[in-house]
Amino acid sequence: MKTSTVPAHPTPLTADQADVMLQRHLKKHHIAIILLHWFNAIVWGLELVTGVALIASPIFRFAPGWYLSMVESAFGTRGHLLQFHLALGLTWIAVYLVYGVFGFRTYLSREVLQNEIALDDDDWRWLVIRTKRILGFTREALPSQGVYNAGQKLFALMVYAMVPLIMITGIIMTFRLMGPAVIGWAVVLHFCAVGAVVSGLLIHVYMGAVFPEEKPAFFSMITGTVNELYAYNHHFKWWTSMKARELAWERRHDEEALPAPEPGIPD
Amino acid sequence: MARWGMVIDLRSCVGCHACTVACATEWDVPAGQARTHVHATPVVGTFPALQSSVFVAQCNHCDRPPCVSACPSGATSQGADGIVRIDRAVCIGCGFCVDACPYDARYLNPKDRKVDKCDFCAARLERGQEPACVATCTAHAKHFGDLEDSQGAVARMVYEQGAGRIESTAAAVGPNVYYAGKPSQLELVHATFQPRASRMPMAGTVWGRLLMPLMLTVVGATFAGQAVAFFNQLRTGEQDFED
Repeated sequence: MKTSTVPAHPTPLTADQADVMLQRHLKKHHIAIILLHWFNAIVWGLELVTGVALIASPIFRFAPGWYLSMVESAFGTRGHLLQFHLALGLTWIAVYLVYGVFGFRTYLSREVLQNEIALDDDDWRWLVIRTKRILGFTREALPSQGVYNAGQKLFALMVYAMVPLIMITGIIMTFRLMGPAVIGWAVVLHFCAVGAVVSGLLIHVYMGAVFPEEKPAFFSMITGTVNELYAYNHHFKWWTSMKARELAWERRHDEEALPAPEPGIPD
Repeated sequence: MARWGMVIDLRSCVGCHACTVACATEWDVPAGQARTHVHATPVVGTFPALQSSVFVAQCNHCDRPPCVSACPSGATSQGADGIVRIDRAVCIGCGFCVDACPYDARYLNPKDRKVDKCDFCAARLERGQEPACVATCTAHAKHFGDLEDSQGAVARMVYEQGAGRIESTAAAVGPNVYYAGKPSQLELVHATFQPRASRMPMAGTVWGRLLMPLMLTVVGATFAGQAVAFFNQLRTGEQDFED
């Protein structure tokens, strides 16, 4: 969409405008984030498969006996199964420590979290309307969203709260720290924190991989980009900020006759 | 397969602690801990009719071991031979089983912070040897064998000579360490060393009764919501996001 000013609200597009925007792509995810996402997905898949099989007590287990036997058989012994779960978990923690250290200013600083993750009024209305739309109760238009929609933000907030808990309790159990009373509570908190994330993961995976309206979001985790039409329809606030940057660059370019823009910013 | 059991004849036991020392040596039990304990009852009665008894305690390899069900990770299990074993590679040191044992037969090893207890010297049994405490008992008070071998000494002491279990109404778990002795002696031992009720730590209770059902409900409800959304998607058909 070629405009001289950025619109304040989404307006209906002509077929030609939509077609042009469909061909243009905006960069949404850095390669480091894409790699981290899929590393995270693989780790979570494996840790869930092995973790469920590690809860063997007749009082606490919820997986059927055949599942426990099958997973244990795949690893040879129960000890090997636990060792795998711990080694992978510690690797996951180590990778996130590196991410936390080197990516703090880019991804985790207060400003980034406030701009990208904190929920505003539009987000809360989005959550209500989106739920009604998914369940088929309304076709009301969704409020404008930033680079992440309210569902993604809510999931991110829960993950930010639960992941440190999972890591700390995991370390306590792995190294049997602070005595049996603390280890006992660590087992319980580890289970609950994972359960909370899994309930969010079910929605996350469904929305990303199955729900048709968000398919570009799924593919953006492979290519790193989304088409401009999707950004306009689903992340209008983000689209306007990108557009404002683009227009500002164009003004500077016109004034200073700068060289060609970097790839990723549509001209 | 054999179903192992033990009979301790309290009439013979002299309380020398040789069994405790042999066990500690065999299994590198740290100082201050033991897999097998020798206790004594208080002296009761009126002089000259006084009475007391020695009592030897260890894991009873119960028919219904509460420690097995309490262990979250499955480190504690019971084999077909009746021996309750701890897979130390899997133990996470939560101590749920320590509280669960009505006989307080388990301890947390301070060296590796994992739980340890008597396993009837399973490794020695595999080599065809008796448990270390039985082989060492100076008074031959400990007898070990197959409870299902009707011709064996242990089975005869249990099923023909009246060796009995130390149980209580709070902990009727079918221990497979039996005690032989004079009726008054066994009565005194019973009264003094009655097993307590099996306990579950607060963390385990909260987990099993509150948080586990809660989390499964939350995850189940989310899954059900996704299923409704998915079938709604199938019913209405996919619409291109571009629209």
